Amino acid sequence: MRSCLAACALAAFGATGALAGKATAPSETPLPAAEVAKDAIVVDITKMKYATPEIHVKVGDTVTWINREAMPHNVHFVAGVLDEQALKGPMLKKEQAYSLTFTEAGTYDYHCTPHPFMRGKVVVE
Amino acid sequence: MALPPNFMPLFRASLIGLGLGCSALALAASAQDAPEAEAPAQETQGQAAARAAAADLAAGQDDEPRILEAPAPDARRVYVNDPAHFAAVTQQFVIDGEAGRVIGMIDGGFLPNPVVADDGSFIAHASTVFSRIARGERTDYVEVFDPVTLLPTADIELPDAPRFLVGTYPWMTSLTPDNKTLLFYQFSPAPAVGVVDLEGKAFKRMLDVPDCYHIFPTAPDTFFMHCRDGSLAKVKFGAEGAPEISHSEVFHPEDEFLINHPAYSSKSGRLVWPTYTGKIHQIDLSSGEAKFLPAVEALTEEERAEGWRPGGWQQVAYHRALDRIYLLVDQRDEWRHKTASRFVVVLDAKTGARIAKFEMGHEIDSINVSQDEKPLLYALSTGDKTLYIHDAESGEELRSVNQLGHGPQVITTADMG
Ligand SMILES: [Cu+2]
Repeated sequence: MRSCLAACALAAFGATGALAGKATAPSETPLPAAEVAKDAIVVDITKMKYATPEIHVKVGDTVTWINREAMPHNVHFVAGVLDEQALKGPMLKKEQAYSLTFTEAGTYDYHCTPHPFMRGKVVVE
Repeated sequence: MALPPNFMPLFRASLIGLGLGCSALALAASAQDAPEAEAPAQETQGQAAARAAAADLAAGQDDEPRILEAPAPDARRVYVNDPAHFAAVTQQFVIDGEAGRVIGMIDGGFLPNPVVADDGSFIAHASTVFSRIARGERTDYVEVFDPVTLLPTADIELPDAPRFLVGTYPWMTSLTPDNKTLLFYQFSPAPAVGVVDLEGKAFKRMLDVPDCYHIFPTAPDTFFMHCRDGSLAKVKFGAEGAPEISHSEVFHPEDEFLINHPAYSSKSGRLVWPTYTGKIHQIDLSSGEAKFLPAVEALTEEERAEGWRPGGWQQVAYHRALDRIYLLVDQRDEWRHKTASRFVVVLDAKTGARIAKFEMGHEIDSINVSQDEKPLLYALSTGDKTLYIHDAESGEELRSVNQLGHGPQVITTADMG
């Protein structure tokens, strides 16, 4: 007997472009966490949460998200937040990092694509 | 059992005649022609139709093909939806549970959510199609159908493809008790509930909701949801503005898993929600607030010790007038909760007392009941693609309807009383 998957949300995952109107991505693909500079502005991801759900930075700052657990996570800004297009970051495996450089002041909400209950906010001053 | 060979030509001629030009109602006819095994109910119908056709022919009556209407909806009409194992197109079978006869069909797109008005006045679904079969431009829409002609009476587009594409959970798309509004769930990019005005035939808006799932309407402007934190959320919405949202107490611990197919009687406001172990939470929403009733155990301590657990798709049914709970159970590993079951236990919802334990005789994935006085117990086998129709009192199998698509999973009935 074939059984069906439980909560198989058939959302398409994957990275979108590196550029967005109010932020740019230094790398489209995830980097090893070990390559993140010691003094980087980091949002850790652990226990199905963004550890710093609201982070304040200055225009020009680069924010790096690092996944600390085996469950893949990403950052996803819906259409109209950073650009007309949504920015759907790549899925990060354990100890992978993804960065965005914020080029304009504002408050930018984001979430994790497969876990919409994981939410965060970047306040750029 | 095959019909006498001399019956077949007549029988074919007559029923194909009826079926011409009528794709919606042709199944009952074409099923008779299929070389596959015929269930006894269809055999009786086929023989009766053959006799009538022979008599018509003998009397010199001409065949006048036309499009049929389904009989008026009654308590024993039952709908079987076939998500077809995630195929891009799907089917719904409209069945007369009393006769065990397919009386119509409705086509759907990808993983549609069917709804049925309790008063029998209409049926509808939220569906999804693509411009190139399974790729290209996506269109989500709600279609409303006349329940007798099965013709669409409304086709309402949902902006920005907001439907949650998931194995079909009946309470992910729901009708308000006045049947004027359809509510559907959006998972991504954020939890939301879409409001569709069926009366005005228009999409209204999306309501932002917390991290909660399923929709159990209690009033034209109020519904409940089940939240990640184990509470229920009450959502009251107006024509515009943010909805008013309040949470109940947390009613189950984090390691107690509530299934995706609870039973909900909109008429009595009873929500019947089993866990993986067969513990049943009951919530009375009839007052417009969540009142948690004492939890009951559907399985005895002894059964649980012997590895008995609920399992299947629609694992639970609730009969409103009799206040009875029906649950699919079998002996299984803890993590085979979606495999078919071969037994149904019946319990008094008030006391939790066991009324019956039926051996179903088949691998059953979904159950439901008719809501009339002496209900039928519907038992759908996804593997057999067959609806077995039982007497809910004795558990006896009365008849069956086979060839229900590729992977039928969802049984819907109307509570017309
Ligand atoms: Cu995540």
